[in-house]
Amino acid sequence: MGISFAEPNAIRLLGALTETEMDELPTGVIGMSQDGIVVVYNRAEAELSRLTPARVLGRHFFGNVAPCTNNHLIAQRFETEPELDATLDYVFTLRMAPTPVRLRLLRSAAEPLMYLLVERRRPGGK
Amino acid sequence: MENEPDALEALTDFLYIIPVGLVQFRMDGTILLANPLAVQLLLPLIPNNDFTDAFSALAPLAPDLARRVHAFSHTSGLVLDHLRCDGGTSAEPHTLSLTVHRTYGGLNLAVLEDVTRLEGQERQLEADRLRFRAIFEHVRDYAIFTVDAQGKIDSWNPSLRRFGGWSAADVMGKTFDLFFPPEHHDPAELAELLTLATRTGSAEIEGWRIREDGPVFWANSVVTALPDSDGAVRGFVIVSRDMTVRKRMEDELRRLATTDPLTGASNRRNGLARLAEALRPGAEPPAVMMLDVDHFKLINDQHGHAMGDLVLCSIVLACRKLLGEGVPVVRWGGEEFLVILPGTGMEAALAMAESIRATLAATPVDAVGGEIRVSVSVGLAMAAPGDTPEAVINRADAALYAAKRGGRNRVELAPPP
Repeated sequence: MGISFAEPNAIRLLGALTETEMDELPTGVIGMSQDGIVVVYNRAEAELSRLTPARVLGRHFFGNVAPCTNNHLIAQRFETEPELDATLDYVFTLRMAPTPVRLRLLRSAAEPLMYLLVERRRPGGK
Repeated sequence: MENEPDALEALTDFLYIIPVGLVQFRMDGTILLANPLAVQLLLPLIPNNDFTDAFSALAPLAPDLARRVHAFSHTSGLVLDHLRCDGGTSAEPHTLSLTVHRTYGGLNLAVLEDVTRLEGQERQLEADRLRFRAIFEHVRDYAIFTVDAQGKIDSWNPSLRRFGGWSAADVMGKTFDLFFPPEHHDPAELAELLTLATRTGSAEIEGWRIREDGPVFWANSVVTALPDSDGAVRGFVIVSRDMTVRKRMEDELRRLATTDPLTGASNRRNGLARLAEALRPGAEPPAVMMLDVDHFKLINDQHGHAMGDLVLCSIVLACRKLLGEGVPVVRWGGEEFLVILPGTGMEAALAMAESIRATLAATPVDAVGGEIRVSVSVGLAMAAPGDTPEAVINRADAALYAAKRGGRNRVELAPPP
């Protein structure tokens, strides 16, 4: 319950959560296998993207679910950096509507899943 | 939302994969729609990653976009047409092209294209164009021009004026054998040259060429095929070089290597080569004349060596005059000459030998201190098929001695082998 967007130890703590605990988090969480297939899609993220987990799970996240992340800023970093913990401001264009978000990219050789944390951002805000 | 019809999803997919960035915004700049590529192209340029206001998001490309959008008074049309702008970071330079359309309802659509590669290609093309123009216009001693597949000149540049005094009106649309002397205007030869260049990539010819104002010069030309993108040859580029100086030097060297410096006749080595050529299988066997000045030692003793030299020169001149430039006259030894007569039969050969003998005997050489009377003895041998140069020369030599023994100033025919 106590895992915030900026939690330093996030990737290890996320790996230990149950599905229910995951859904109770206020932060959007997408968990992917090492080859980018969506394994975890929590409630907060489903509400943000207005996609149900049933439509997303088992599909390739960058190529299929969110092509707006399939670029050198996001997808390419997951592919090329085995140890990754980066935070960046981005704009999702789900159904062409720009949505300012803050993203945290998490990947570690010690963890089976990699995570993308998503937080809505006030436009122009910090 | 998952219950929405597939058509909307298909449309979204379409807008996602389209290779241009799209941003729809209101008159006040508020962004309503954007596709992922627009975000990807613009986000690295925006300081605070704010993607709500089009004017600030596009400011790095078009700082005065707000002014231009408001100045555009029509309800629809092109606000901005393919504005080229630097978009990109120092690490990853990009050139973007920005077009803005006004659509009905007070909406604007910005279209972003990444033209970095196109820009690079354009810059390369322009650099090549300038480089080639510099070459075309400033090379000296070269002419560079292009012809179409039929050999018709389709480009003119100043190198042609420098090279041959040719103006564009003189040459455009004419086949390039225009530069050949009239006796070399042979369409078949031209076609053959272009066929060779097409087959092998390039072909080379050398020869005399004419300038627009008349004089000829010797030129080397390389004809290179210009293939289309699909490999078909649509024309040729021809690079011609004025080689007159080299040609004259070569000619002079050849002359020095093949002639006798005193008389200008062929030297012995060249004479043997010419004889071997005349005896080649299949050619009409020639007649060989061995000619020796009678009492030459006496002429030298009485009139001096300078006058002896004059006599030798006058004999070569007389032979040339009677036989023509094409008949090889060879200085074989001191006062001995070999003449290779064309294979026109014994009667004709005998007549020619006799006429030379008679002419020389009847024409005294003008010398300092009076005329010198000269006579020659001639041995004539008819070559037979399969003859070697040595065999023919030996028979002519034997006949020459017979003529000497027979009293000089006469022609003796060698018996057949």
